Amino acid sequence: MDLSYTLEDQAFRQWVRAWLAENVPRHKLTTMEEKKAWHRKLYDAGFIGMGLPREYGGRDARPMEQAIVGEEMVRAKAPPPLNGLGIAIVIPTLIHHGTEQQKRRFIHKLLTAEELWCQLYSEPNAGSDLASLQCRADLDGDEFVINGQKIWTSGAHEADWGLLLARTDRSAPKHQGISCILVDMHTPGIEVRTLKQISGSEEFCEVFFTDVRVPRENLVGELNGGWRIAQTTLSYERGGNTLSRYARLLQQVTRLLDVCRVLQRDGRPAIEDPVVRQKLGQIYAEMEVLRYASLRILSRLERGLRPGPESSLAKLHYSELDKRVQELILDILGPYGQQVGGIPDELALEPGAAYGEAGSWMYAFLWSRAGTIYAGSSEIQKNIIGERVLGLPKEVRADRVAAQVAGAASGDGAD
Amino acid sequence: MDFEFTEDQVMLRGLVREFLSEQCPVSHVRAMMEHPRGYDRDLYRRLVQLGMLPFPEKYGGAGLGMIEQAIVLEEMGRIPYPGPYFATVILAGGAIMASGDSRAQMRYLPAICNGDLAMSLAFLEDGISWGPDAIGLSMAREGESYRLDGIKRFVPFGQSVDDILVVARSGGGRGAEGISLVAVPADAPGLVIEPEVMMDLTSKTATLRFEGVRVPAENRVGPEGGAWPAVEVALRQAAVGASAEMLGAARKALEMSVDYAKVRKQFGQYIGQFQAIKHKLAEMLELVENAHAAVYYAAWALDAGAPDAALAASVAKSTVNVAARRVCGDAIQVHGGIGFTWEYDLHLYFKRAKHLEPLYGDTEYHRERVLQEALAGRVAGSA
Repeated sequence: MDLSYTLEDQAFRQWVRAWLAENVPRHKLTTMEEKKAWHRKLYDAGFIGMGLPREYGGRDARPMEQAIVGEEMVRAKAPPPLNGLGIAIVIPTLIHHGTEQQKRRFIHKLLTAEELWCQLYSEPNAGSDLASLQCRADLDGDEFVINGQKIWTSGAHEADWGLLLARTDRSAPKHQGISCILVDMHTPGIEVRTLKQISGSEEFCEVFFTDVRVPRENLVGELNGGWRIAQTTLSYERGGNTLSRYARLLQQVTRLLDVCRVLQRDGRPAIEDPVVRQKLGQIYAEMEVLRYASLRILSRLERGLRPGPESSLAKLHYSELDKRVQELILDILGPYGQQVGGIPDELALEPGAAYGEAGSWMYAFLWSRAGTIYAGSSEIQKNIIGERVLGLPKEVRADRVAAQVAGAASGDGAD
Repeated sequence: MDFEFTEDQVMLRGLVREFLSEQCPVSHVRAMMEHPRGYDRDLYRRLVQLGMLPFPEKYGGAGLGMIEQAIVLEEMGRIPYPGPYFATVILAGGAIMASGDSRAQMRYLPAICNGDLAMSLAFLEDGISWGPDAIGLSMAREGESYRLDGIKRFVPFGQSVDDILVVARSGGGRGAEGISLVAVPADAPGLVIEPEVMMDLTSKTATLRFEGVRVPAENRVGPEGGAWPAVEVALRQAAVGASAEMLGAARKALEMSVDYAKVRKQFGQYIGQFQAIKHKLAEMLELVENAHAAVYYAAWALDAGAPDAALAASVAKSTVNVAARRVCGDAIQVHGGIGFTWEYDLHLYFKRAKHLEPLYGDTEYHRERVLQEALAGRVAGSA
């Protein structure tokens, strides 16, 4: 057990820090052109998809190097790269399950953000129970014909391509009739509407498919083998880089401590109030535990251990922690914690933030409510932890009981 | 960056686990609950002689660090071991090491290392604060001896160790000024030892009344009036050590609960199938794993002399206090009625964790310490 950074890692961190100091844009990126140019710069520096094998455009970087880049980017307030979900999910999916042609066609353009991607998984009636999805892809000659609706699709309004889960066999049990298909988002018959969230921002979309024709060669893996593919890729989504989450929280908490020196409470700075101090101490301790737990995960990854069901523990931890911490922050700041317009600069998270944009206490608070829902809700994570980590027996599930009963009934009928 | 135990550390854990499971079965723990000394001297001697003590080899120790002590104490929490290992090695031995007083080290540490000497540290008085202000027991020089007057409470195994290291005030200073350490034999005239009866019967404690106790001046450990830094180091190690022991108790309670949820049936199915139970157990695992990360990070930080060592120690104690309370309490809930019986062992872990919760700083004390360290910038360097 040795929790110090190696000299090699320290040198790498210094190099990354220096590069960012020189290259981080000084003004806010507004147009997609500017965002793509910044992404390209990060790619050319070797910071995008850096953990991927060299043959696919990565640099075989160790998990620690990736974590350092993530942490330093937050520290430098660097705008995030594009295609985050695509890099985390689509590329591993293609590497593990795609054809040579698919890999050559898609991976490079995804990494460089020449093409933007979205993930077409959730539906209005298929959230936590993703396998009950109803969006259909019917084979018609050499084409799939897609009909149905997707929702909570991040960035669909800007995407060029989508990774779609659709039902290709309606007679099979629900987990066995799903396929994974690559969809050109510019195909006729696709309609995208943005959804406004409680944060006031619009990152999520609804996507409607009406007789959308997609070539059969866009199938990933086997026909009706999509569920297994989704299972492996969802665990990539849950693996997560919790060290950059820590860095983001540290920025917020560092600012909070400054604000508490200014904010008055009962005739003295809030930082002198013992009740406020207790809450600040709790926030800081929770944040440090997130760092320790992140280092533990990183050290396992460094040893070459894949994140298995234990990644559910990490996801449950940081998302629930974020809710606790954001609540405490709003407790401490009172109505200022909920103020965006007109908040005094010395009390703001970032002066000048607008409703529906990052940079306010309120925005961080509201977003903390999403973390325990997306990428597998806390309840789903607890099922995974209970069954696959602790080895508890599976719950009795109504859909499985119905299938069993239906099977038994048809068996009776045959007799 | 490596958060996994080394081979030696894994072997140490196995050695202690095997020794305790063979030599200290729960029947022994229960026997000691009823015993006035609270521990078996012979078992204690053999435990100490396993070769895992943190003290330098020249004193007969193994020269191991806080990470190894945390491993040992976590195993003790799983039993829960009844005896003065923590009192002797972490508290008294820790303060003697930190005092830098080589004469005192030569006098006490070899006897601690071969198991001949069991010690404790007397800190708390009538109040329950962990800073130097709370120390009022007076220590006055009279010729070649010191005279001690005052009271100490909640002294771990105060009724059954050989010598007690007393945190006293000499010269009438305030705060950290004037804090001294002095070793007092348990049979010193004028020392009245009153056993206390505590919720956790496996952790004996005593009230010690010092009524004109006289000890030779050579019993002083460290500089007269300047011993607070050594006491502070010992208390910091004790906070991490207690956290490790609570972690052991919590993990054991979780394991018992998971095992129980796999065999107990109600409504025609295993209770572990119900999300109400499954989710509770998942939350307990999350708390235990985070407690593990906090304990061993802090132990490493103390060993490495990291800039955030004090911060990490307080993060660990405040985190594990809350985690162990939840986990051990929920373990009783998962078990239902049987978990509330004297006969079932779960309450032993519940009570050990609770016993350690207020000691060496409660949750509020350590959250305040966390904030002070953060505001002073004594945090981890990232490079």
